[in-house]
Parts: sequence; structure tokens; C-alpha cells
Amino acid sequence: MVASNRTVKGNALQLGSALPSSRTIILVVAGASFVLVCVVPILYMLGVSFISADGLFTFENYRLLLLDARQRELLGRSTLLGVGTALLATAIGAPLGLLLARADLPLKRMLRILLVIPLVVPPYVLALSWILVTGSTGFLASLIGGSFLSAWTYSLTGAILVLGTCLYPLSMLATEAAARRVNGRLEEAALLVASPRRVLWRITLPLIAPTVAAAALIIFVLALAEFGVPGLLRVRVFTTEVFTAFSALYDFGAGVALAVPLLAVALIVGIIAKLITGERLLAARRNLHPGLILRLGRWRAVVLGLLAIILTVTVILPLVTLAVEAGKPERITSALRSSGDAIHNSLSLAAIGATLIVVLAAFLGYARARSGARLRGLVDLLFITIFAVPSTVVGVGLIGLWNRSGLLGAIYTSQAIIVVAYLARFVPIAALMLAASVRQIPVSVEEAAEVGGASWWRTFTRIVLPQMRAGLISAWVVSFIFCFGELGATLLVAPPGESTLPVRVYTIIANTPSSEVAALALLQASVVLVPLVILGLFLRGNATKASGA
Amino acid sequence: MNNSILRLMHPVRSKRLLPVLFAAFLSLVLAACNNPQPTTSDANNANASSANITSGAGGEVTIYVSTDRVFSEPILREYERKTGVRVSAVYDTEETKSTGLANKLLAEKNRPQADVFWSNEPVRTLVLKKNGVLAPYDSPNAEGIPAIFQDPENYWTGFSARSRVIVYNTNLVKPEDAPKSIFDLTDPKWKGQAAIADPRFGSTSFHVAALYAELGDERADEFFRKLKANDVKIAPGNSVVRDMVARGEVKVGLTDTDDVNVALEDKQPVAMVFPDHDGIGVPVMPNMVSLIANAPHPEAGKRLINYLLSPEVERSLAQSEAVQIPLHAGVEGPKNIPALASFKPMTLDYGKAADRVEDVTRRLQLILGL
Repeated sequence: MVASNRTVKGNALQLGSALPSSRTIILVVAGASFVLVCVVPILYMLGVSFISADGLFTFENYRLLLLDARQRELLGRSTLLGVGTALLATAIGAPLGLLLARADLPLKRMLRILLVIPLVVPPYVLALSWILVTGSTGFLASLIGGSFLSAWTYSLTGAILVLGTCLYPLSMLATEAAARRVNGRLEEAALLVASPRRVLWRITLPLIAPTVAAAALIIFVLALAEFGVPGLLRVRVFTTEVFTAFSALYDFGAGVALAVPLLAVALIVGIIAKLITGERLLAARRNLHPGLILRLGRWRAVVLGLLAIILTVTVILPLVTLAVEAGKPERITSALRSSGDAIHNSLSLAAIGATLIVVLAAFLGYARARSGARLRGLVDLLFITIFAVPSTVVGVGLIGLWNRSGLLGAIYTSQAIIVVAYLARFVPIAALMLAASVRQIPVSVEEAAEVGGASWWRTFTRIVLPQMRAGLISAWVVSFIFCFGELGATLLVAPPGESTLPVRVYTIIANTPSSEVAALALLQASVVLVPLVILGLFLRGNATKASGA
Repeated sequence: MNNSILRLMHPVRSKRLLPVLFAAFLSLVLAACNNPQPTTSDANNANASSANITSGAGGEVTIYVSTDRVFSEPILREYERKTGVRVSAVYDTEETKSTGLANKLLAEKNRPQADVFWSNEPVRTLVLKKNGVLAPYDSPNAEGIPAIFQDPENYWTGFSARSRVIVYNTNLVKPEDAPKSIFDLTDPKWKGQAAIADPRFGSTSFHVAALYAELGDERADEFFRKLKANDVKIAPGNSVVRDMVARGEVKVGLTDTDDVNVALEDKQPVAMVFPDHDGIGVPVMPNMVSLIANAPHPEAGKRLINYLLSPEVERSLAQSEAVQIPLHAGVEGPKNIPALASFKPMTLDYGKAADRVEDVTRRLQLILGL
């Protein structure tokens, strides 16, 4: 790479290296797109926060930040909410992911789809369904005759429980993908001398820990960014301050300044997570060995019982509650009939968005995995911090940058801007999820391919990408779900005319009775599930191959 | 082996990812072309559409609407049907669920995309006026609307109004026991049994700002301190307040007429009281319609404003589930709501009340512990 700067006249080989390689070009383009789409809007908004109404530099927005006890208390509670949710979601999701990847369980594919459902129902609606179940006038209270859970429902604990049960599928999907990648040979070798339990604790878990931690970090940030659920459960959080600055005071600068403490919290928690999990990583070749299979044996009944409880509490109970609340099926069919365009927009925009996100994130993840250890750590922290930027800040930043004459304006006034917003929001987490996949691919295979005369592009598409397959699929699924559900930034940038399904749902539910809210939420959840089920069926053959069954 | 030639050739050979990338790029471009920015000058459009208005074709107009979509969309569809003008609308979500349209309008100020802003309450319109987002327009159809509901500088015109009301659960509270004044909510009788929406957002922010403007800081602070001491529940929005009352989680709440009416139509056990008939009166919140400064289609925007301010629109908003109170004299009012003349609207300077919002927001954050 350095050779390209030399001005040496010489033989063909040196002339060749004077041209930037396809690797350099592609990685630079990917990096530049990332900066343009994800970083520049945030820098633009930071700029806004330092400029006064008269166009002069000002520190005013930051002057009083966190100086009063009230704000510090809110920030503390937000952090608790984030940490509690991340721990709960990981405690449920990581074992589930491990079971799906390694245990001799029946009906795994159906289980996986069922367990993803909480992720596709808007958290606000799930919280609503919990109020209908555990609130003081809820289903449980009328069943038992007392409202012993209602105090819990409207509390920080309640918010953690609701968000934890919404977000655990993220940890599950990430853990499963990671557990599938662990080199079976290592485990098989260890099994010769150690018990399966010891192998699980000393080999498998340490190898998947970085991915589990990355997922926990993403969940932490999602919980930190949430204000709808805490608002409904009457838990005061710091995120509402940012929202207040935009929605009550219409002060962009103050809004951005108020987002900074949230970013700092995300950064600090990110650093702590890094310190705890460290870099225990072992390169793995394409995984053809089944490795450790968790034979449940006499624990089978216990595991199945726990699975049944998780399914009942996090999936069946909320869905049944919503279905009962939605009442007559006509409500859903009428909601469906008028939402055709919105559904079409949502599915196609989310599919385009998820595909572009995964393509860009694959290159970014590759670049990050192949960079030095220190830089790698910094890039991870950059990704998580960018993801923690509130969607409103991203949305307003995108308007400021893209609402101009010419090509940018043409994009801004079309639905393409919604895809841009998806990229701005979700490339960092997809890159974070994919980075671990690349790191497990040994550099030696790339070197071998290069020695064999293959170009980098050929090596990347034929050797690196196929080995990332499980990671790419789970990143695509997660990105698709996130894009599909995105509301905060979409609502700000969406051009006039029919927009996405969540925008439609949220513009309709403002005043409607909760029965219609429930009908629309069920509609939204089922629309996003259909393509995922199809994808699951389509990938069936490969999934069984990858799991080594 | 010539390395450089191989390097140049292989990208062409590997055909797997390139088509994906290309397709993705193409779809982006297609999406971009799908909905191109109108390039013709507005003058042309305006002439064309005014010429075509009788033949029922042509022209387009963009409106941002914060009035609930279920109520506003039919009105705009009707306008499309009558005039043939294509109305592109952006609707808002409930204030407490996402950052709304006022932020979009502020962010787009340098290159406005909207022609008209239709707000369901006064605060946002007045914020936009203060920030130079609006342009003055004196619609001929504003005639007949009481002066209090019109901006003397013509930056906004009010029409079809809602009112703040007390909602109570009819299974738990007898009509004669229902609170008659918002000040009754500080009575120990309602301790832990009253709900209000977050006073930083939406029509509740207007209500509390109006109270501060009317009562003065000292009395208003006192009222909210007492409310807090009486364990008032703060819900994220007016519809949530209504749902809490309808479910019986609390007995009474403060909300808007249209929210209560939706529950009434759904046969839920609620009723409403127009409070403070003998006292300060109740804040009435008109819809407000404004022209956007440097709008892409100002003439089309003005025509849409004229339509929205017509008695016809006031009539349909009154007859819809929105049960909005007509401001033109002689338009028949909604069935569940008393006429404007029969209850006591708070005498309000909307501009003055809106000016208080920021300060009141900060006060209430402390007093109510938000």
C-alpha cells in the first residue's frame, strides 16, 4: 500500500502497485460512504449545537448540562434501564441462542421464528399489552381479584421487564450465529479429555463471548434510546429530555447537547464491556465439524419447560392479549385493506435498506477486522456511539444535509431518503455484528489465495464472504427488522404521500381506541414476519448444513 | 505472472456481488426518480391549475398536517376529488410518540417542501411563526370567524376548535360527583385517582401555558404543587389519559374533546365535563392553518387554505368523530358537544400563552418531577 506513494520508475510489477488495488478502492469507497451517510449528519448537528441564533460560536447549550440534580438522576435511571434490559435480554437470549445452535431440540426452526416475534412487535404496543395484563384493572387483576402486580407494572422494574422481553431475540440471533461459527474441531479435541460441561465453559462460551457482548451493547443502546415505553410506564428517563428539547421547546442545539450525555454513557458502557470480554478470539476455518452438541438428557424436561415458559410469557400472552383487544377480525382486515401501499413501501424499502446495510457493513467489518488491535477497539466504540445518537438528531441532520438543490434534493424529495435514514441509523450495528464474523476467518486463507494468484476481490467474494454466511444472514435479518420498524428518523425525512407502515400505524393510532392500536400492531408484526418465514424456509437446507446436523 | 493485469481482470470475473451492488444502486436511483422534485415554476403551475380548476384536473399542493390523520385525510381526499388538485400530505404522530412535523418544518426552513401547515393546536403554529417559517395570508373565508381566533398579522387563521375537558369513568363516578373545575382535582377525594398528559407536549402544553398566562405564576405554581401532592398520574398522551379513565385505572382525567368522543363512540363508560363554567373558563383550541414562507406552490396553497376555512369543512369536522366545534356562526355543531356559546371559553391571547410554553415547561419539570 505504501508503495503507491513512491515515484519509482521501474518494471511492470512496480507500476502495477502504483495503481491502488481493488481492495484499497473498495474499502475507501465503503469508508467514505459510511462517513458521508452515518457520520456527517451527526457532525452537522454537533455544529448546530455550537452556533447561536446570531450565527456565532456558543457554548451556551452545554453550559448547564448535568448541573442540576434532576438531570443527573434521570441519566442514572436511564443507565439503569439500559443495563438492566441488556442483562435481562442476554440472560434470556444467549442461552436460547446456544440451545438453537447446539442442543438436540425438536422443531428448532419453528422455535426460532416464534422466539423472534417480540422483536417485530413495536415495544410501545408490547408495553400496552402488559398494562392490559398486569395493570390494576388488567386481566390478572380481574382473574385473581387483586392488583398485586400493578405497582410493578408502572416502575423501572416493569420497564426493564418489558424491554428485556422485547429485545432478547437480538441476543438469541447473535449468539446462535456465533455458536455456529465456533470451530467444531477445537471442541471435539477438548471433548477427548474433558467433560462437555467443561468444554462448554472453557472453549465454546469464551469464543462466543465477544459476540454476546456486542449484542448486549446494542440492546443497551436500544433501551437507552427508548422513551415511549418508559413514558407509558411512568418511568422518567433522560432520553425524554432530548425529546423535550425538540418536541416541546423546538431547540435543535439544546437537543443535540442533551444527547451528548447519552453518547457518553454508551461509550463508557462500551469500554467496560470491552474490558470484561477482552479479545479472546481464535480463527476458525469453514466449520464442517459439529463440535459440541448439547445432549440434554435428563435436563430435557427442564429445558423444554423453561422454553414453554419463555414462549408463553414473551410471545403467547402478549399476542393473545393484543388479539383479544383487537377483537373482531374485520378490524385487521380493514386495516390491511387500506395499508397496501404502506406495506409495499415498507417491505421494499426495508429490503433495499437491509441489503445495502449488510453490503456496506461487510466491507466495514472486514476493514475493521484486518486493522490493528487498538484501532479495532476504537472503531467498535465509534460504531456503538454513533448508534446511540437519537433518531431525531439523525433525522434533523439528514434534512439539513440533503434538502438542497440538485441531486441531493432529488433524493431528499423521494423515498430514497428513507433508505439513507435506515443506513445512517443501522450500518454501525450491522458492522459491529459482522466484524466478529470476519475476525474468525484466518488471514492465512487470504494470503494463500493471493499466493495462488487470486485478486483480493475474488478472495473476498469466494472465500471471505461464504465463511461469513451465517453472520451475513443474521445481520440482514436484524437490519431488516430494524429498518422495517424505524420511526424516529423516517417520520422526519419521509416525503409527502404514503410512507412506511410504522409511520402509517403511528399517524393513525393517535386518537383511536386501543382496540385499533392492537389490530394495527398485529398487522405490522405479521407483515414483517412473513418475509422472515419465507427466508427461513428458503435457507432451510443451508441452515441444517451449517449446524452440522 | 503479471500481477497488475490479474488484479484488473479479476474484478470483472467475480460476478457474485457486483450484480447485487448494481441492483441496489439501481433501485436507489429508481426510487429517487420515482418522485422527482417539481421543477416547473410555481407561477406556471398556479396558472395551469387555476385554468383547469373547473375542468377538475391539474396542479399539486403539499400540506403538513398535525390534526389526526383519521379526521384530516378524508377532508383532503374530498378536496382532491372536487378540484382534481393532487394533495400530498405528511401526517403527524401523537406528540408524545415521536418528534413531529414542526421540527420537519423548522429543519426545512431554508428549502421548504410544504405549502400549508394545518395544526391541531396553537402552540406549534406560534413557534413556527416566531421562527419565520410562516407567511401571512388573509383568506376571504376567514370572514365570520371570531377575531380572537385569527392572527392580527394573518400568519394563521383558526377554525374548527376542540376544547380541554375533564373526563370521568361513569362506573366509578356519579355525574353529580364529577369535578366541575380543574381545581377540584387537587381535592383529596381524587388522590391518586386523577391523570393528566405530560404537560410538556401537545394540547396539554397549551393548556398549562394558558393557565399560567391566566392565573399568574404564583397561583399556577401552587395549583400544580397541589396536584403533585395529590399524586396525579402523568400519562404520555391525552389518549392514554382517556384509556386509563375508561379502564378504571383512575377515576378522572384531563383530556381533549375528540379523545373522549372516540371512547363514547366505542361505548366505553366515560363522560365529559366542560370545567370552570363559573370561573376562568376552559381553553378552546382551534385548528390553525398557515401558509409556509417560500412555499413551492403558494397559490395552490392559498386555495387549499380557503377550502379548509370554508363552512363546509367545519361542518364535516363537526360531524366526524373529531367532534370539532365550528367557529363560523351558523354551522351546525357536533352532537356530543355543547355549542361554543353555551360554555365559557377562556379569554385568551394565543400568542401570549404560546410565549409562556418554554418557561412553563421548565417550571413544571421541577414541580411535577418530570
